[in-house]
Amino acid sequence: MSHDQMLIAFLAGDLDPAAARRFDEHLLGCEDCWQAVREDQAGQVAAELLRQPAPPGLADRVRLAVEVAAAAQPQPRQNRRRWPRWRVLAGAGALAAGLAAAVLAVVLPGGRAQEPAAVAAVVRYAQAMPHPGSGRPTVPVEVGHPVTVTAGGQRVTLRTWRLGGAEATVAVSAAPFPMPPGAKGMTGPGMGWSARIGHLSLYCLNGARPEIVAGAVPAAELPRLARLLPQP
Amino acid sequence: MGGDHRAFLEATLPYLDVVHRIARHAAPGGQDAEDLVQETYLRAYAAFDAYRGENTRAWLAAICLNAARSEARRRRRRPRELTGYPPADSARAGCEEGGRADPRRPGELPDVADVVIAALDAEAVAGCLARLPAEQRWCIVLMDVAGYTARETAELLGCPRGTVLARVHRGRRKLAGLLTEAGVGHEP
Repeated sequence: MSHDQMLIAFLAGDLDPAAARRFDEHLLGCEDCWQAVREDQAGQVAAELLRQPAPPGLADRVRLAVEVAAAAQPQPRQNRRRWPRWRVLAGAGALAAGLAAAVLAVVLPGGRAQEPAAVAAVVRYAQAMPHPGSGRPTVPVEVGHPVTVTAGGQRVTLRTWRLGGAEATVAVSAAPFPMPPGAKGMTGPGMGWSARIGHLSLYCLNGARPEIVAGAVPAAELPRLARLLPQP
Repeated sequence: MGGDHRAFLEATLPYLDVVHRIARHAAPGGQDAEDLVQETYLRAYAAFDAYRGENTRAWLAAICLNAARSEARRRRRRPRELTGYPPADSARAGCEEGGRADPRRPGELPDVADVVIAALDAEAVAGCLARLPAEQRWCIVLMDVAGYTARETAELLGCPRGTVLARVHRGRRKLAGLLTEAGVGHEP
């Protein structure tokens, strides 16, 4: 084993105790090896500074993306491999909290999987929002934090606002939102559409900044609600 | 694909931090790291039925590296587009060559004994890390940043474990040297 290999094995903890002790003693008298060890340690500690947590909202984004992918499948698999119970239990706490649980509580009616992926993502996000509380703010109050998701190749940023006992999800994208089946096209500037999906009404304007407003309110109320919300 | 997404999320979301750490360094120029994380999870979900391994953490890392490689190749096919550095491709490059020797002579590197770790800045470290040769950088990203063992890293990169250890050692020394040269971490 070369000197360099010995040093690397020492740092990796691969040497047997006797060899490690001998190399340790060698370090006392070899400036080059001592320098190499210190530089190795300094580089390792520096690199470990990059062990940072994922940004807030990324878990929600991943859950939403997987939910949308799952919703796009017509049938659940029947012969899925079962995971060990401990693994399932280990993640149960995380699952119970937040967006995913709310999403899973809502089952889209059959056939909804045909919606364009970006629209399906907006719908599932809007459905996942908690029900309005007893407060009736007279100015828009944001619920949660913005989530950005890529669905069907389209990048969509989603925010939810509460106003006067109603909640509305606003989705914006750089690309026009495709029209889902059953939607009604609108004429005039913006070339938008409106649709009813489950208990949600959707109002889309594919103008310079394509936007969908979705809420559990009558479709006729959405344009008025949209005008009261902050501009994205 | 479909069906048991709850089990999938339960099994994989605990490793979100790790996947994101890899994605931050794997995303080719112009791709958002969070987009790569999402793509990783969607690919993993699509393959979840067939997955039989016990090391979910390593499985996700492999998918993330493959997704980054695919994206880098896709971007390279576009004319006139700069691809930044294609780390996933180059992560395997040179595996059979035994790694690149550190060209720096020991005497050229200031003594890093004076490095004050508390003064290090993560952004500066990331910048210096990006300047390392790809094979050294990837061993450091997987071992020191993402927390994989040398054996897991060797399997992910398709290199012998000894090669990984040598590359990590050379890369750490070079990283320390670059930080010292940049004046990051020196005692005042």
